[in-house]
Amino acid sequence: MGIDHPGYVNNSMYAQLFKCLPLIIAGIAQAQAAVSDDDCKGMSDDCVAVGKWNFSVALGAGIRSNPLATGANIPLVVIPQFSYYGKRFFINDLDLGFTLAENTANTFSLVASPGYDRVFFYRSDLQNIFIGGLPGNPGPAAFVVRAAAGSTQTPVRFPPRARHFTYLAGPEWTFKLSGVSGQIDVLHDVTDQNNGTEIRAALGIPLVESKGSLTASAGITWKSAAIVNYYYGAAGIYEAGSALNPFIKLGYTLPLAGKWRFSAFAEYERLGNAIANSPIVEERFVATAFVGAIYTF
Amino acid sequence: MTRRAAVPAFVLAALLCGTQRSAVAATEPEGHDIRLELSPRICTLAADDKQCNTWVHASWQSPHEESLCLVIVDRPEVKRCWENYSEGTYNIELVFTDDLIFQLKDLDLRRVLASEALRVIKAAIHYRHKRRQPWNLFD
Repeated sequence: MGIDHPGYVNNSMYAQLFKCLPLIIAGIAQAQAAVSDDDCKGMSDDCVAVGKWNFSVALGAGIRSNPLATGANIPLVVIPQFSYYGKRFFINDLDLGFTLAENTANTFSLVASPGYDRVFFYRSDLQNIFIGGLPGNPGPAAFVVRAAAGSTQTPVRFPPRARHFTYLAGPEWTFKLSGVSGQIDVLHDVTDQNNGTEIRAALGIPLVESKGSLTASAGITWKSAAIVNYYYGAAGIYEAGSALNPFIKLGYTLPLAGKWRFSAFAEYERLGNAIANSPIVEERFVATAFVGAIYTF
Repeated sequence: MTRRAAVPAFVLAALLCGTQRSAVAATEPEGHDIRLELSPRICTLAADDKQCNTWVHASWQSPHEESLCLVIVDRPEVKRCWENYSEGTYNIELVFTDDLIFQLKDLDLRRVLASEALRVIKAAIHYRHKRRQPWNLFD
């Protein structure tokens, strides 16, 4: 991608941006403080009861590819999901959040979310439980050994090391305009593992809304060099820059009898050069597909 | 000035009181000595509940023998009658979403002799927007 840069990148600009954003959001929140959301009158696709836990489980067949050279694909069979919404606080699977302000179209929150890339290194990662069913082999992937792309050097051993569970936190803006939903998160590692920054942004566009609904989504994930190197780099062997991963997704849901609904989706994520060029990465994309049914308790 | 103003106000208040009393008396059940009791008297719906589903125990007592029927307003299928009794009980399983008014009426179902309400209290449920998250895999 055009904004990938080889080598470490000074993150000070992003750090400054990150420091300013809470202030901006706080200002928005102040302005919006008097605005209470009153367009949610009952349960709907868009609204949820305050103070109530929500549980569901997806059962089906699916797979997420693993781009690591030694990585096994991740099966999607049983996918539990849960959420809780307080007046402002919310839990959404492994994400936590606090809503600063919201109105009919916009929501500003502070959120905390697990670092994503660890799922490729550890089948026991919690995100694999909530995405892919029961954990399998534990431990870091054994490492391998091809030279970096374009290199004429002989392959070198990529030393195995731990990638710890991390949490990223920061402001989130979500919105819905004319049926199109959007999400922008600016997150920073708060677990002091890599001190990296990640930006997640996406748009969800409804294509068909009749008995079933077909939605297309497109977005990006930008990872700072600190995050990319934490997962895909090795000092003296491969030092990466930041990476931009774009993705597209197509999802379909259809209500079935009772509390069941049919669900199918396919997602293609292209890995930025800084990740794809790592010696431990074999494929420059992550493909995910799932077909099954979701039961809501 | 104050005294002169107070006298008409007092008269007006007394008149209003009398009017209100008359109105209340007109809607009060006529069998003042008949006592109707319900158990439970309140059904509380939690956030997840859509309706009340419960057994209701109704009992009545009177110092005199009465001939009357127990009915529920807007539930014509419910009717239990007694002839020349001074007390009676009735148990029924009911499904309902709003207040139920139990009435004791004469056998012609014209005069209301006693009335009691089984109240439905709905827990205040508040709603808010779900998190919109097109970035996430399942949304």
